[in-house]
Amino acid sequence: MREFISGNQAIVRGAIRAGCNFVAGYPITPASSILTEVMGAFAQGTGVVVQTEDEIAAIGQCIGAAMAGAKAMTATSGPGISLYSENIGLAQMGEAPLVIVDCQRMGPATGGATATGDGDVMFARHVTSGSYPIPVLAATDATTAYRLTYEAFNIAERLRTPVILLSSKAIALTRQTVDLEAVKLSKLVERHAAASDTAFQPYHVDQPGGVPDFAPIGGSQRVRFTGSVHDEDGGLTIDRVKIDAKLRRLNTKILGVQHSLELVDEDLDDSADTLIVSYGLADGAVREAVTQARDLGAAVSHLTLYSLWPVPGDALRRAATSSIQRVIVPELNLGLYVEEIRKILPGIEVLSIQRIDGGLIKPQRIVDAMMANHRGGASNERSST
Amino acid sequence: MTTLAVKKNDMAFCPGCSHGMVLEHLSAALDRMKLTPTDVCIVSDIGCIGISDRYLDSHTFHGLHGRSITYAEGIKRARPDLTVVVLIGDGGCGIGTAHLVHSARRGADITVIVCNNFNFGMTGGQHSATTPVCAQTPTTPNGATDYPFDVCQTVGANGASYVGRFTAFDKDLPQRLETAIRTPGFSLLDTWELCVAYYTERNPLNRKTLSELSDSMELPLGELYNRPRPPHPAEPASRSAISKTTEPSNNRAPITLSWPRRTEFCVAGSAGQRILSAVGVIGKLAVAGGLHAAQSDDFPITVSRGHSVSNLILSDKPIFYTGVDNPELLLVLTEDGVRRVKLWERLSPHALVLAETSLNLPDTPAQIERINCKTAEKLVGKPSAALALLSYAIVRGQWLDENRFRAIAEAGIRGKYREDNLKAIDAGINLAHTGFESA
Ligand code: SF4
Ligand SMILES: [Mg+2]
Repeated sequence: MREFISGNQAIVRGAIRAGCNFVAGYPITPASSILTEVMGAFAQGTGVVVQTEDEIAAIGQCIGAAMAGAKAMTATSGPGISLYSENIGLAQMGEAPLVIVDCQRMGPATGGATATGDGDVMFARHVTSGSYPIPVLAATDATTAYRLTYEAFNIAERLRTPVILLSSKAIALTRQTVDLEAVKLSKLVERHAAASDTAFQPYHVDQPGGVPDFAPIGGSQRVRFTGSVHDEDGGLTIDRVKIDAKLRRLNTKILGVQHSLELVDEDLDDSADTLIVSYGLADGAVREAVTQARDLGAAVSHLTLYSLWPVPGDALRRAATSSIQRVIVPELNLGLYVEEIRKILPGIEVLSIQRIDGGLIKPQRIVDAMMANHRGGASNERSST
Repeated sequence: MTTLAVKKNDMAFCPGCSHGMVLEHLSAALDRMKLTPTDVCIVSDIGCIGISDRYLDSHTFHGLHGRSITYAEGIKRARPDLTVVVLIGDGGCGIGTAHLVHSARRGADITVIVCNNFNFGMTGGQHSATTPVCAQTPTTPNGATDYPFDVCQTVGANGASYVGRFTAFDKDLPQRLETAIRTPGFSLLDTWELCVAYYTERNPLNRKTLSELSDSMELPLGELYNRPRPPHPAEPASRSAISKTTEPSNNRAPITLSWPRRTEFCVAGSAGQRILSAVGVIGKLAVAGGLHAAQSDDFPITVSRGHSVSNLILSDKPIFYTGVDNPELLLVLTEDGVRRVKLWERLSPHALVLAETSLNLPDTPAQIERINCKTAEKLVGKPSAALALLSYAIVRGQWLDENRFRAIAEAGIRGKYREDNLKAIDAGINLAHTGFESA
């Protein structure tokens, strides 16, 4: 059934579809309506929702609730992610499953509260101290906001990790036609419950890259949660072997399965000489541009990235078929993610198209860049008109 | 003692530190209440008291500095049956003051033990929020000058149920703790301690002079507040099953609209004209009629003042790009709208501008026709005028046949404002026949 809903509404629907039953948040444009939508959705008692005194308390309550067994989500914009930062590290270290939505706005600091942008793509990856990996997904419209919220919960549950979902003002508050029943979702994943007959060790794993089995705080098995470096019992440790094993595991439990975390949409043409790679806000314009360029006779491939971190290297290499001469990467920032693509595809010219003034990149700019390439030799385009 | 796994003297605190005594008192209180360790979660803050989790057989949670109260409240909300106790230092109360205040205001059913030794023990004895005036610390070389933070009155004035100020040497602390835990709502015990490594090295304070300090600081010891307040209503959380069907009931209208290509509309006016909802009604109708729609709005953050602009795209195909760069219809209702719309010169010669008759318009290649907002307001009232004018525009520009429009409106419009919206659409369609003069 088709409906007309905003990206924020789609996120709430995706969260509920995934079984989310705890949301804490602090109002901020353009994320606020996620909190108010949840108030309505949980009104029948299917979950707990609270507006807290600040963003630190919002994510703090979510981490506490997640460790007590809830499926928790919190949503904010860039300024709130800055305040989440330290607690995101806590969720990483303590291995708390948690979905964090960043409805991006324009620029640093208060920036443009009602203007759009994709400026947090690197911030999301490097959001907390220690630089351990965090899975990051990026929605392109209301439909993918629904789907990726659901998938974010699955990743968070499977790997016991915070997962960041990037949206943006122009997705969050734009109403679009969706048909949620028709969206293909993967099988629902729940965190792996610890066996009740064994002596429970909250951070025990069977193999080096493993994910510890979960028992909730408040259950019959005693749980120790800590943000300090710890051993398998959750006790503070200074044993270097144990420290190395724990910290390495935070890395390998995610990077070791990164192939399975790749979420992309491939629209590839074997004879294409141009590959456009897009994510977030630029994706809609690219889809229009690709249709127009193909109507003009151009052979072009398009790869949409729904997962940004870990970088979906397999998909990028697969899309860069032997005929590809150049790659175009339009972004609603200063050309941030294009550098990751250059790392994955050395030896191929990778062009950046950028816009940072709060407006969208227009399809025509992308068509022009493709056609200029066909005539040979366009340089990186940095204008923002 | 069942919750405490280790004797005070075997703990890693400095010999003479009061932290171990507080842990014994807490364990005694939990014993008095006959709670088994897994009935309890103890959330520890940062500082020397933060190493306590290793000595406890309860559930333990050790997080960030000053944020222990936030985790405790989240745990309690998710598991209302669990006893949740926070161990926090005076340092944590300084950095996390906001959480103390607001958790008390919310009446979170948790118990906070402030292990208050007047300085930062773990980092070397620096002054904290509760350091007494004139006290010597490495960061107050000429004596502390800041007014000491009164934790008890702060939470007491903000909704806490049970508040008391005691010392770690009080024999009846387990009873006090039991009362605090049993009292519904937010409870806090400011528990005065000695940090023998730093504070008492520099300042004349011992177990006997704690009461003198209380007098000189005018911070009385003893029970200060005892007024049980029911906690926030027990929230069902995970106990009630989550509905897997998130889809509303099928309300697809039987009528489908045909729409040959992507069309962009822009409605520009001022706050209070209900422009966003008018465009939303048309968008919803279009979707009910089987079309694809995208609506993006533009308004200042102070929503009740200034411009209000809404863009709508309708198409028979999925809409990926939601920018509106070439509107075929520009409906302009006020001066705010004229100023906000930047694309006057770039409009297509085929575009239709419907502008309120009193407005001065910039040069534009588009076709301009005048409308009269007052007429619409008279017909349907101010709140519905924008929808009437947009309906007028849709029929005037021949985007929709009026019979289909009426039918889809009849079938597709739901909710509280159904009658008002139907009336507005009807008035707009009629205006397209009669014109503004004869209306
Ligand atoms: S430094 Fe002070 S607070 Fe810390 S253990 Fe020693 S005496 Fe106790
Ligand atoms: Mg202290």
